[in-house]
Amino acid sequence: MEYDVVVVGSGPAGSVTARFAAEAGANVLILERRAEVGVPVLCGEGISQRVDKWDMLEGKRWIASKMDGAKIYSPNGTLVTLSKEVAGNETGYVVYRDIFDQELARRAVKAGAKILMRAEVTDLLKDGGKISGVKVRQFNEEFNIKADVVVGADGVESKIGQWAGFNTILKPGDLETCVQYTLTNVDHKSDYCEFFLGKKIAPGGYVWIFPKGKDTFNVGIGILASLSKPGMPLKLLNKFISNHSDLKKGEPVRLLAGAVPVANPIETVRDNLLLVGDAARHSDPITGGGLTTALEGGKIAGVTIGKAVEKKTFDKEILSIYETNWKETFGKKLHRDYVLKNILLDFEDKTLNMLADSLKDYKFEEFSTLSLIKALVFKHPTLLMKLKPLLKLSEKSK
Amino acid sequence: MGKLNTKVDERGCLACGGCISICPQAALIMFGGRAFVREDKCICCGICIKTCPIGAICEVD
Ligand SMILES: Cc1cc2nc3c(=O)[nH]c(=O)nc-3n(C[C@H](O)[C@H](O)[C@H](O)COP(=O)(O)OP(=O)(O)OC[C@H]3O[C@@H](n4cnc5c(N)ncnc54)[C@H](O)[C@@H]3O)c2cc1C
Ligand code: SF4
Ligand code: SF4
Repeated sequence: MEYDVVVVGSGPAGSVTARFAAEAGANVLILERRAEVGVPVLCGEGISQRVDKWDMLEGKRWIASKMDGAKIYSPNGTLVTLSKEVAGNETGYVVYRDIFDQELARRAVKAGAKILMRAEVTDLLKDGGKISGVKVRQFNEEFNIKADVVVGADGVESKIGQWAGFNTILKPGDLETCVQYTLTNVDHKSDYCEFFLGKKIAPGGYVWIFPKGKDTFNVGIGILASLSKPGMPLKLLNKFISNHSDLKKGEPVRLLAGAVPVANPIETVRDNLLLVGDAARHSDPITGGGLTTALEGGKIAGVTIGKAVEKKTFDKEILSIYETNWKETFGKKLHRDYVLKNILLDFEDKTLNMLADSLKDYKFEEFSTLSLIKALVFKHPTLLMKLKPLLKLSEKSK
Repeated sequence: MGKLNTKVDERGCLACGGCISICPQAALIMFGGRAFVREDKCICCGICIKTCPIGAICEVD
């Protein structure tokens, strides 16, 4: 078998890369080791409404609910609200990630991409040092697939990156280790995504409650792996739920474990290979969100590959257009949030309480991390020394 | 004293991939939908044990 492009992984980053490469005329194959695209779901399923403008998802079947804003609770329960009325209409959706991923895959297929299920990539093929395809195991068979470009869209594990010689191994301080229940029959009224901070609640991370429509909520926790102990996320989430008067009446219909990189983005391009999505560490170090960057980065990757196929050149130089463009589009913001993450980790609970108290009546101009940073600097000139570099980074990322 | 080995409880593992992304020796792989420690590569540093969100990795004799 021979293709212009093989994409390893049918998550959002892989499917979008495949679609845009195929639309540009490339012959594309997606390899997925799972038996169903998007299943099992390993996600909180929150996404910004910016996706509406991107022509990535058709229809509405992938939307579970619309959010009105965000509520952030400091360790002592002080509430900071970013609401729709103040921040404009653009907030977020909670999605059905399985349908979401399948819709993105459908668009890739519509553009001409092929998919092999239960096809696990076990190594890269190399031809005198040059990456020339992948080794695949499907059921009891092992075979090779040749390709001019290999796309590592294999998520947080990122074996493709390791095999290509990138250092993708995450430090424990750069990974959030997570569990989440989808609880149903919950007697909780909220159209906001809610976040709970505090060293006793979720060391180096947060607990989230995302409304999934009717009486169903995604309730999850992420803890920085360097601050975690064996099984701590599950124990702390169980404790949070049993202490929450509304949630404790719910019953789970899903339990998942998950891992989110909260790292600085890495190098993503080699001759004949590039990395997208979580494999490229493109999730946001503050929020842990990786869906929008997977879509944006996937599109840039697909378009770049299209150009490479047209020119019949697949070296690092031509594929680097991808790296330059993702850095321009969201790379600087990811770096800013990585710096911010490390500043926030130093804050004691009482500092977070004090900051939340000063922002509890604040009217935020938009629904973003940047507007939070701006508000903090405005309220606390003494924090300026620490946060000013972030504003500079933010200016650059505009 | 026998050498301790790091082992994934295959009935507990929920295949999140966290341990795999963090192992400094690249000794963990996903196999048959579960994480699996390659004894030949593992140095028993314990990082994956701390990381597993549901406590599905432990040391055994
Ligand atoms: C608990 C949790 C909550 C989250 N909540 C949110 C949220 O609310 N909002 C948000 O924006 N982001 C969230 N994220 C992050 C988001 O899920 C990821 O950023 C996103 O899934 C990345 O997409 P991807 O396409 O890069 O990788 P993935 O979606 O992980 O897809 C990778 C695919 O590659 C396949 N694969 C891997 N290895 C191989 C191989 N060797 N051969 C073949 N196939 C392979 C896998 O089976 C998988 O299908 C959350 C993550 C977790 C863990
Ligand atoms: S961290 Fe735990 S649940 Fe996740 S893959 Fe490893 S052993 Fe399985
Ligand atoms: S104990 Fe250390 S070396 Fe062994 S599998 Fe776990 S993280 Fe890797």
